[in-house]
Amino acid sequence: MLGADRLAYSYPGADRRYDLSFSALPGEVTAVSGQSGAGKSTLLDLVAGFLAPASGSLTLDGRDLLPLPPEGRPVSIQFQTDTLFDHLTAARNVALGLPHHTPAAAARGQVEAALAEVGLAGMGPQRAATLSGGEKQRVALARTLLRNRPVLLLDEPFSALDDETRGTVRELVRQLTVQHGWITILVSHHVDDIAALATRRYHLQDGRLTRVP
Amino acid sequence: MALAIAGTIALILRAILTTAAEVPPATGHTVDLWHLVSMTAIQAGLTTVLSLFVGTALAWALNRLRFPGRDLIVGLFASAIVTPGLIVAFGLLAIWGRAGWINQTALALFGRPLEVPIFGLGGILMAHVILDGAFAARILLARLDAIPAPRLKSGQSLGLSALQRFTIIDWPMLAGALPGLAAIIFLLAFTSFPIVLLLGGGPANQTLEVAIYSAVRLDFDLAGAVQLAMVQIGICASVILVASIFAPVSATTGRSPPSTWRDAIAARVMQWMILVLGIVGFGLPLLATLIGGIGPGLAEVLTRESFWRALGTSVALGVGSAALTLILALVIALGRAATVAPYYRVSVGAPAYAYLAVPAVVISLGFFLLVRNMGLMPSAAAPVVVLIANALLSLPFALATLGPPLDAIALSRGKLIRSLGLEGWTQWGAVEWPLVGRDAGVVVALAFCFSLGDLGVIALFGTEDFTTLPLLMYRALGAYRSNDAAAIAALMLALTIAAFVLLPKLFGGLTDARR
Repeated sequence: MLGADRLAYSYPGADRRYDLSFSALPGEVTAVSGQSGAGKSTLLDLVAGFLAPASGSLTLDGRDLLPLPPEGRPVSIQFQTDTLFDHLTAARNVALGLPHHTPAAAARGQVEAALAEVGLAGMGPQRAATLSGGEKQRVALARTLLRNRPVLLLDEPFSALDDETRGTVRELVRQLTVQHGWITILVSHHVDDIAALATRRYHLQDGRLTRVP
Repeated sequence: MALAIAGTIALILRAILTTAAEVPPATGHTVDLWHLVSMTAIQAGLTTVLSLFVGTALAWALNRLRFPGRDLIVGLFASAIVTPGLIVAFGLLAIWGRAGWINQTALALFGRPLEVPIFGLGGILMAHVILDGAFAARILLARLDAIPAPRLKSGQSLGLSALQRFTIIDWPMLAGALPGLAAIIFLLAFTSFPIVLLLGGGPANQTLEVAIYSAVRLDFDLAGAVQLAMVQIGICASVILVASIFAPVSATTGRSPPSTWRDAIAARVMQWMILVLGIVGFGLPLLATLIGGIGPGLAEVLTRESFWRALGTSVALGVGSAALTLILALVIALGRAATVAPYYRVSVGAPAYAYLAVPAVVISLGFFLLVRNMGLMPSAAAPVVVLIANALLSLPFALATLGPPLDAIALSRGKLIRSLGLEGWTQWGAVEWPLVGRDAGVVVALAFCFSLGDLGVIALFGTEDFTTLPLLMYRALGAYRSNDAAAIAALMLALTIAAFVLLPKLFGGLTDARR
């Protein structure tokens, strides 16, 4: 279980103070809703290690995550845009999820398998810049598969997608979360996304998370 | 306004071409054109390659490191754009010259001086790379600052190594700016005048600019000067044409937020080494100039009437040139922002940028011929001509600073402005001025500093009665009054730094709206 207890943070010079507590379970999508500017991305930044809280705790199965740097946290993250490096091929983007110095032959096989799992078999040589929004999110999911980290953070990942693609990618996220036992945290201000995916829901307002029944 | 600028360019070119057709070449004086062009191109090419390398390394180090005083160091490199070449060249002489710091130290330690070839290609390259490398560093740092946060977060979360981070995240951002930046640096070096004049060390290292100056001022060979000017314009125009294919490089003097993602320790050690070398390389000549100036010459210079007259002329020209530049740049940028029609935008903006193809000495020569053809004494028209020429030389940089924010305002708020029925002064006072006030301050500072440090334009028009600080300093050097030159250089540098730091703050304070 991923648990946060009274994670406190405030931006320098800003009045608002965040005091965040939540829990998220493996194989579930925990969704966080809230208005624009409520601090949904701040929550993800705290979990991913891009921001350091002033106090509180963040644990995964009892292990303290706060001392770990972003690259050392058991976390993968996906954004609405710029989630891939556009000038690299899809395969190269996915391969970045493997441990460095993985032998090329082994990497190739794993990358192909991951791409196949997200429905993009054979798309490896294509440059990321030429992919559609939905394909980019799938490639990022393939990279997450290879990273093999238990927590997946999704920062408005479906916002730039059309309705049909949105449904497909959402379903893929749900499937992968269940299959691989990921602890997926989705922040979104789209009611549809939350309704379709969330097993557990929180609402963020005035710097605090409230569990939504 | 654009038409007036285009008309001025046409008049200058016409004066040069007419003279080329009319004036017989001077006898007994030949110019090795091929040597001049190749020498100029070699030093400009080497300057470009070395400056881009130095600039990239410095930008990389500055982007990664966080330390107290970082803003000051970023500001120091940003000031390269306005630091007069004459001062850097003088600072290098104070360090590496025959009586410079290095030789004094070597003499004290080993009993004999070090023979460092500061005059010639080595010295020219060193001065150019110090100025242009720092300029490149500031431009490239802005590119690194503009990397979208999600991309950096993805990279950090993936645990990219320092090398992977540079090749995968940084390089694509830098590569887009390099061709345009290379073209600008090549042009700056190709048309560099005071550095070559001071450090060239003789005809072997002469460049086109210096040859034009020599032809007019020393050999009185107008036909030769015109011939050289035409070659110079042709080459610069070709470079600009090629450069126009690439993405434009925007002028940057604002803050640079430090990165929160630190590289591994080995990379950080290398970044610190690069940064220290960069600060020493760029800062030391300036420091040497300041220290050298606070010597016996300072008090004496301050008592001379000629100094105060030159200071008054320099400041008056700087203020006038800055005001004219700001007015021209605002009118052109606002006119350009008012439309999205590509043909109209190019027509309005092109005359201002065309001046990049006509270097300072050539502009000066054109005006010189124009005034002479009009039957006026060049000395009588000198103040007006120098003021206009300096303003026109600053205009491309002014447009690069004011154009993008005014375009952005038109794009993001154009419909709102129109729906509210705002126009003219009301629109300017309520919308543009509060939003671009600081940029206007940057333009004023750039133009003032360019004018203050100019030697290329004043070189042909300067007289005993009409002298600016750079010309006074150059004359002091020519007369071997190095104490006087050092004092003038230090005062010029102090004035440049004060103007560059204070003017944007002053304008920013008057208008503090955020875009």
